Amino acid sequence: MELMGFLILFPVFVAALLMVVRQEFARKILVCASAGVIAVTSVVFVALNVGTLGQYYEFESEVVNYLCFGIDCLVGVTVLCYAAKYRNIISALLAIVMLALCVVFEFFVLPGTTCARGLYFDSLSLIMILIIGIIGSGIIVYALGYMKDHYNHNPSQPDRSHSFFALMFVFLGAMYAIVFCNNLVWLLTAWEVTTLCSFLLIGFTKTQESIVNSFRQIIMNMIGGIAFQVALFYLVFNFQLLDFAQFIVYGAYAPALFVFPLTCLTLAGMTKAAQMPFHTWLLGAMVAPTPTSALLHSSTMVKAGVFLLLKCAPIYAVSFAPSLLIILIGGVTFLLTSLMAISQTNAKRVLAYSTIGNLGLICACAGVGTTEAMWAAVFLIVFHAVAKSLLFLCVGTAEHHISSRDIEDMDLLFERMPKLARLMLLGIMIMFIAPFGMLLAKWATLVSFVDTRQFILLLLLAYGSAGTFMYYAKWMGKLTGIAAEPTNVELEVHHTEWFALFGMAAIAVGCCVVMPLISNVFVEPYIISVAGLSIQPISDDNLWLCSLATVAVVGVLLFGLNRKSDKRQVGIYLSGASVDNERRVFNNSKDQPLQATGRNMYMEEYFGETRLKNIGYVCTYLLIVAAFAWAILSMLGIAPLS
Amino acid sequence: MQSLINILGTLAASVLFALVAALVGGFLAGLDRKVSARMQGRVGPPLLQPFYDVIKLFSKEGVRVNGVMDAYIMVALVFTAIAGGIFFTGGNLLLCVFVLTLGELFFILAAWSARSPFSDVGAQRETLQVMAYEPMVLLMAVGFYLATGSFDVSCVLHLPAPIAGPLVGILIGFLFVLTIKLRKSPFDLSYSHHAHQDLVKGITTEMSGPTLAYVEIMHWLENVLFLGWVALFFVWASPLAILVVIVVLAAVYFLEIWIDNNFARVKWQAMLWSAWLVTLVVAGVNLAVLIYL
Repeated sequence: MELMGFLILFPVFVAALLMVVRQEFARKILVCASAGVIAVTSVVFVALNVGTLGQYYEFESEVVNYLCFGIDCLVGVTVLCYAAKYRNIISALLAIVMLALCVVFEFFVLPGTTCARGLYFDSLSLIMILIIGIIGSGIIVYALGYMKDHYNHNPSQPDRSHSFFALMFVFLGAMYAIVFCNNLVWLLTAWEVTTLCSFLLIGFTKTQESIVNSFRQIIMNMIGGIAFQVALFYLVFNFQLLDFAQFIVYGAYAPALFVFPLTCLTLAGMTKAAQMPFHTWLLGAMVAPTPTSALLHSSTMVKAGVFLLLKCAPIYAVSFAPSLLIILIGGVTFLLTSLMAISQTNAKRVLAYSTIGNLGLICACAGVGTTEAMWAAVFLIVFHAVAKSLLFLCVGTAEHHISSRDIEDMDLLFERMPKLARLMLLGIMIMFIAPFGMLLAKWATLVSFVDTRQFILLLLLAYGSAGTFMYYAKWMGKLTGIAAEPTNVELEVHHTEWFALFGMAAIAVGCCVVMPLISNVFVEPYIISVAGLSIQPISDDNLWLCSLATVAVVGVLLFGLNRKSDKRQVGIYLSGASVDNERRVFNNSKDQPLQATGRNMYMEEYFGETRLKNIGYVCTYLLIVAAFAWAILSMLGIAPLS
Repeated sequence: MQSLINILGTLAASVLFALVAALVGGFLAGLDRKVSARMQGRVGPPLLQPFYDVIKLFSKEGVRVNGVMDAYIMVALVFTAIAGGIFFTGGNLLLCVFVLTLGELFFILAAWSARSPFSDVGAQRETLQVMAYEPMVLLMAVGFYLATGSFDVSCVLHLPAPIAGPLVGILIGFLFVLTIKLRKSPFDLSYSHHAHQDLVKGITTEMSGPTLAYVEIMHWLENVLFLGWVALFFVWASPLAILVVIVVLAAVYFLEIWIDNNFARVKWQAMLWSAWLVTLVVAGVNLAVLIYL
């Protein structure tokens, strides 16, 4: 338990230190050392508890209670201050509601209710700890080099690196609190802290665009936070229940009594996991410096949302309306974002859509709630974290060296940034193609959907996967092109960036290769601790075959594509009218030299955002309204309770 | 340990598949050209012409437009063979589909790496083709599971009756996208054996000599594998199944050749939307019946 406390508090302590230490070199040392400490502590903690079926600690503390209340108020007041400064009425209103609920809850509802088991961890927590501790701190190390370049590229902005790094560390601390707290009030506090941190990080550059987007984020996530508070009101008022584990057990036994709080928690999880109609905040988040995006997408924030939903999977498995809500919203989100991503040229936007879509799949799996679905969901979380962090860092580095995040500008990156392009190709492949982990997780998803006869989800998954292939394959196509020898522009990439990039790549490949072991050591113990038994949706034989294939493909990608060959090099075919074959210049019909250039297909008229987004809004708003109507009716005892 | 033996078995089967399917696929290609020729009132080349072609390609000087294309093509060929090995050892149908898609991706990357106008467009269209048939192929595997209770191909050998009955809609949908997968007109957008090309040789424009020979062999392996998928619908626990499968496959292949010779190439929009619509209607209805009735 000491280690758990250390993991929560140490990052916060480092953050405080960073606010004081403003000298650049000292900061570099401090950040690297603390990131190392966090990563090592996480690994040690996990190593000490491998295979655990869940460990709960009797821990009550008035001090922590008041501290949480104080932090909640601080979050509300901070948002209120920003809302006042930037004249944003909606977020001010939401902050006032949140503060009011917080005060009423603390002084009129909560007294008398206690939660004996304040802290816990189980095998899912262990996985999350590794993701937060290793990926999260890796991203922070990467940010050292990135932020330096960032200020070189944007000399007009005042250097506020210290608060940037401080926020990132606080973020990690809050994430640890989310995965360790069994007391729902404490969990809510950590939840609100992550909301606030991402608000501040998105608005970090204080440009007009980033301010607008950060307020979009805070409005949506405050709605989710308020839904969480309402769920707590209901639980405490009716059942004096603050124990998260007990909530899951009771919910699974008597789902009828918990329809309303579960629907509220679903809404909270959905907003944080950026599901439609709340997906725009994550799209807007990309205006922030890239390490922020990497952190939000891979190891923190959105993962908190799906973590909450996944914990509730046993209740979804036996409940009707909330389960249907999250399944359909997840499925529709997956399909529509996969199609919308086809029409995007901005690499970060494609990645954001891909994140939202995959989170949709995780939500759908949580909603299905069977052991197979949980297995799939955990692996989706793991592989998404490792691959997406790698991809964001690659795009961030590329952006600083080619001055663009547009996929069309990544043409010929294979030779302009040879190492980086290979890592990017690797990251993309891990995201969408067999034998890599993400596709195996999707395979497990398919198995769990077909086993539970989820007709609509199966259709959504089939078409969404087709879209996924399209947008990732054509991106890869841009990267792999080889033409006239361009200059290598990756020679000035910082050491810390390479360290993080290669580290992430190694972790990602490692996870793919030892997937059957991860299943045995982490995923199955968790599912056993929740459901009593665990069925692996994919046989070990097939998993090991994929491991072997992974090694082969990675080997070819990283080492097999060197250009030495005794074959004669010839020019490409330009209809016999070449002028300069290397540069793809030919003589056109007017006998003038013309360079052959190509753009990828984006099919804007079919897969454009404006059209598909509206379909998504209609579907998801209707679903949310219907689910809440059902929840309220069932609370009043009118609707069928199951 | 058992896993290791199974995996080695699959890999050995893949090698065997590569050899046998190359022969069968080559004959099939010869037959294809012969029948096509007769439909067009020609005599056509000898039955073994595809083999002569490939042997000649191997004897040509290997030239390259870049240093990576050969590696991509070899990976594509190897994974196509492994997909066949998985299928014909009775392995997991989904895994077979996924591994084949991996091979397909590397084939597309090979074309893209050339950065040539013709192969670029070919690669774009090939990607579109994958997007067009992917939903149907996944739903075929789902239907297979719903009808047999397993994703393992080997389970068809123990069925009391062929699954073509309950999966008739999925079979129709699959035959529709099979035209795309076999690269037959009207869906031969990315590359075709016919001379009527808007794209020179599309995705294979920059591939020549031995490299092109490997592509040709990969194409044969794919064709055999796809016919295997069709056969899946007609196998059950009876020796009679062998006869039925032979008749059905002959009929299906003849149908594909007939379609190839009678339809002009369509635009990509028509391919994408028709494939997705057919999938949604026939496979969707079929799955709904299996699930809800």
